[in-house]
Amino acid sequence: MPAVDQSPANRSLRSARLRTRVTLALAIAILIPSMYGFAGKFYEFLHLVRGESDGAFAVAPILNYLLASGGFLLLLLWATANGMFHDIERPKHTLLDREQQLDAAQRRK
Amino acid sequence: MSAAETRSEEITPPQDLVDTRLVLWYFVAACVFLLISMLGGILMALQLVHWNPLAGLELFSPGRWRMIHTNAVAYGFLANAFLGALHWAVPRLTMHRVASQALSYFIFLAWQAIVLLTAAGVVLGPSFQDQAWVAEASRNLGISMSLGAQGLEWGETPFWIDPVALLGLLLVAVNFMVPIAKAKGPLYVTLWYFMAAFVWTFLTYAMGNLLPEYTVAGTSAGAIGGLFIHDLVGLFVTPLGWGLMYYFVPIMLQRPIWSHGLSLVGFWGLAFFYPLQGIHHFLYTPIPMFLQHGAIISTIAVELVVTTVVINFFGTLWGQGRAFVDNLPIRWFYTGMIYYFLTCLQCSMQVTLTFQKLIHFTDWVVGHAHLVMFGVFSMWLFGVMTYLIPRLLNRPWYSHKLCEWHFWLSAAGVLVMASDLILAGVFQGYFWAALQPWDVSVVASQPFWITRVFAGLAMFGGFLCFLYNFWMTWSARSHV
Ligand code: HEM
Repeated sequence: MPAVDQSPANRSLRSARLRTRVTLALAIAILIPSMYGFAGKFYEFLHLVRGESDGAFAVAPILNYLLASGGFLLLLLWATANGMFHDIERPKHTLLDREQQLDAAQRRK
Repeated sequence: MSAAETRSEEITPPQDLVDTRLVLWYFVAACVFLLISMLGGILMALQLVHWNPLAGLELFSPGRWRMIHTNAVAYGFLANAFLGALHWAVPRLTMHRVASQALSYFIFLAWQAIVLLTAAGVVLGPSFQDQAWVAEASRNLGISMSLGAQGLEWGETPFWIDPVALLGLLLVAVNFMVPIAKAKGPLYVTLWYFMAAFVWTFLTYAMGNLLPEYTVAGTSAGAIGGLFIHDLVGLFVTPLGWGLMYYFVPIMLQRPIWSHGLSLVGFWGLAFFYPLQGIHHFLYTPIPMFLQHGAIISTIAVELVVTTVVINFFGTLWGQGRAFVDNLPIRWFYTGMIYYFLTCLQCSMQVTLTFQKLIHFTDWVVGHAHLVMFGVFSMWLFGVMTYLIPRLLNRPWYSHKLCEWHFWLSAAGVLVMASDLILAGVFQGYFWAALQPWDVSVVASQPFWITRVFAGLAMFGGFLCFLYNFWMTWSARSHV
């Protein structure tokens, strides 16, 4: 049986892979049913606004929702187009590096 | 990816990146308002066990105190503590100062004035209401002028303060968005949460305070009220709270958050699923059932999103469990997270119509409110203060023992209070379902309400330890 590479580099590669897989699995498992239920209800709202007597009632909440979520959808599209999610794990390392830099600068004062 | 590869380029931070004095001032203001709010809570609790020490004083009647209790907590304590923490975190995350230091001080003073005026309006407003000039001004201006509290839960800020509060929120957004806009590279999840909170808080406040007052009426206004109260928790307090945890936990543990990708799933999930769920507060009301069902579905979606956050934080702690014992701020944070998980579990039950039938209007909801507002968000903010105050003052805590007392009295007090009230709610629900006279349920609630007084006193005692410790650390007397 070939020996398993236990070097730190290989271990961190494996843990990064595990993290990506868990993130993807959770994203799919959570977002798809949520979106399904949510979109279904939203579709129903829109029908009511157009037809039924209760429809007028739905206008205010839907407008509020569209106002807030429309803005966020644009932000999501803008962020994706600008590479904000390219190297998705990088910002968490940048945070710690900067904190170290700032603490060191404060100690030097 | 190797550490060398991930290392960010060196950026020279500007001089005086963080205005530490302002952060400290915000924390002091937060503590003053929490002290007032807790006293209000204790007075309310005493009133409910027929021992109101201020009985007969109209200005301090329980109805007014209750609003002081809730408003001082939301706008006095939470908002001030969050603003203090933001003044620390945003410049350090972006490596840029806030837009204007002068504006920061102006906002600080204006915000205190807004909270104090709200308190004055709530306490004094009803007493002025009967004056002839009020009726006349109301007629001349063509608006119904209620000088006291606005008739909207959590939006009791008198109507004449609303425009000033909105202006204040706008200035807060501008002051922090400028450094965020200047930040280079992909944003860390905390900044996503903060940005969202600035936009949402403004919109939520405007929607909740202006629409029911001036445009929609009746049950439609009720529906907007439902969105407002929940969005205030979910779109103001939650993103700021989570944002701060994503910032402070990795720093305290000296290791990055387990998965940044997963944290972004949580953020965007909150952004899209949260805004419609507020009506779940008004299940079984005359609001059309399709809106109630919609709120239930989006609540379940958010429950799932919350799971990602909890997994991520516990994944980060994995292998460093000892920090939960040894590191006090981490203990505050993770205890808050455990309570967070409990409130969400509770929420998943109470959002079902079957369960609502039993617990609606009971003390179950009050128990839930304390668990989330004190057990989660206040605990997180206490953790942040426990970590930052020695750094801001440049000296260690006067007494570590008092820090421990603060933690244990708060954590235990709120657990007792919440469990007690949740149980009281179940009893009350069954009394009402059995069509017992109202008085019977009130008498049966007494043991629970007495327990609440003691739990409240424990929480208050913990906070007094903190205040004394803070004072002694500041005045730098000898260490214990
Ligand atoms: C000294 C400890 C406290 C005591 C004795 C206390 C007591 C009370 C009482 C008696 C009420 C009114 C319940 C009713 O109308 O039936 C109340 C409401 C409330 N309190 Fe407290 N409280 C305390 C601390 C806090 C803190 C620190 C927070 C938040 C950080 C808080 C948040 C709330 C909220 C959100 C409500 C409204 C609940 C609702 O309307 O469902 N309380 N509290």
